[in-house]
Amino acid sequence: MSATDPPPIISMRGVSKSFGANVVYQGMDIDVYRGETLTILGGSGTGKSVALKLMIGLLRAEEGSVQVNGEEVSEMGAESLRKLRQDLSMVFQGGALFDSMSVLENVGYALTEHTQMSDAEILDRAEECLEMVGLGLSENPDILEKFPANLSGGMRKRVALARSIAIKPAVILYDEPTTGLDPPNCDRISMMIRHLQEQLSVTSVVVTHDIDTAFHVSDRMAMLHEHRFPWVARTEDFRQIRDEVVRDFIVRRTR
Amino acid sequence: MTGLLRRIGGSLNDFFRWSGGLFILFLRAVWVAPQRPIGVSDLSHQTLTVGIRSMPMATLMSLFVGMILVWQFGEALADFGAKQSLGYASSLALVRELIPALLAVTVGSKMATGMTAELGSMKVTEQIDAIASLGADPVKKLVWPRFFAATLAMPLLVAWGNIMALLGGMFISDAVFDVPAGYFYETYIDELIPIHYISGIVKATVFGAIAGIIGCYQGFMTKFGTEAVGLATTETVVAVSIAVVIADFALTTLFLPI
Repeated sequence: MSATDPPPIISMRGVSKSFGANVVYQGMDIDVYRGETLTILGGSGTGKSVALKLMIGLLRAEEGSVQVNGEEVSEMGAESLRKLRQDLSMVFQGGALFDSMSVLENVGYALTEHTQMSDAEILDRAEECLEMVGLGLSENPDILEKFPANLSGGMRKRVALARSIAIKPAVILYDEPTTGLDPPNCDRISMMIRHLQEQLSVTSVVVTHDIDTAFHVSDRMAMLHEHRFPWVARTEDFRQIRDEVVRDFIVRRTR
Repeated sequence: MTGLLRRIGGSLNDFFRWSGGLFILFLRAVWVAPQRPIGVSDLSHQTLTVGIRSMPMATLMSLFVGMILVWQFGEALADFGAKQSLGYASSLALVRELIPALLAVTVGSKMATGMTAELGSMKVTEQIDAIASLGADPVKKLVWPRFFAATLAMPLLVAWGNIMALLGGMFISDAVFDVPAGYFYETYIDELIPIHYISGIVKATVFGAIAGIIGCYQGFMTKFGTEAVGLATTETVVAVSIAVVIADFALTTLFLPI
């Protein structure tokens, strides 16, 4: 990005985060710009998801700054965090749907929390969101009454996606959106992320170790290595990086 | 020697961290309680769930404890030819002490472990993070209703337990010792004054609060993995039992001189 570009919507500077002796980030920097899809790549268990949780304020950095729209997340009180989470929405790895609630209650959860919408309006919005993620009532007439336990893995991810877009967020954070899915479902989810970005003009940050998904959905890509993001580039430039660590990851080579 | 001291120090450190965390969660739960939305449906749902699910166990425990205690006392009193005092002898122990403490250790542990298992599973599957990320406060949504439910349900269950223990005692008194059930009832009630009921109910309320907050805290502190949920629930039983016994001693010290 050049000096004339607008300021980033999310900016992380000199961030350090560890869990006991396990250091996840040390002096990490990364920016996310409005309207783009940035994919964070890296091996399993390296702490990619931690970046998303720092952005949305579920975790706090020990050092450094995490800013969203120019506001420091670590300094936000309960009300500011509540507002932040109307703008930023997260899709969790396993879906994290609420077991005790129906699909309708899950999808409408943020609307119940943040808005004064009536039950009928929430129902309409839930149907609309489910339609967007390919779970329209025409093909799945009883989807609204179903509980997460009665859904397949792919359906759970799509309902989670519907839940995250219901509030019309400016940014969607995807944590491993295709992990554990079969190839057709991986493609379906990837297409959906791209489609939602184009349709809703949302900014997306996708954490994944699935390189195919990454190339399909990204405008820019970043790779986590040794607690930082040493490689951040536009997708077409990322393909050209010659560093062995990046090449090994892209071509799935083990040494 | 140094190793032993280090272990003791480590355990004390863990204990103070745990107690501090528990107290902070309690303060947060009480702090968020009056904030809107009040969540009446969550509160009533949890109270009904916790209370009704515990009714069979509370009934059975109280009935049998009432029968056992009266039988034991009856054997001792019969040796002195004082079995007509059976009602007087058993009422204080049951109402002031045994029913509240026993139900807290059994029913309270059951409530708490249920909460730990449920919240622990939610933690492991990131549902608690999901609640926070959707802009709700997990303490308000999950902890406060459960804490409230346990605190309210326990004294109600103890009141019910007192009736069951009395019925159990009446049955044994009549069937085993030929002391008429009506006479047992009259002497049983005659021995009790309001402060005895109050002390039992206050104890039950405190025990319910202890079970509720420990159950929720343990659930929130569950580490990742299904094994962690099992470990957290086991620790909950131990923590609730010890905390109830200590609180019981403190409350007995407070109420006995009255």
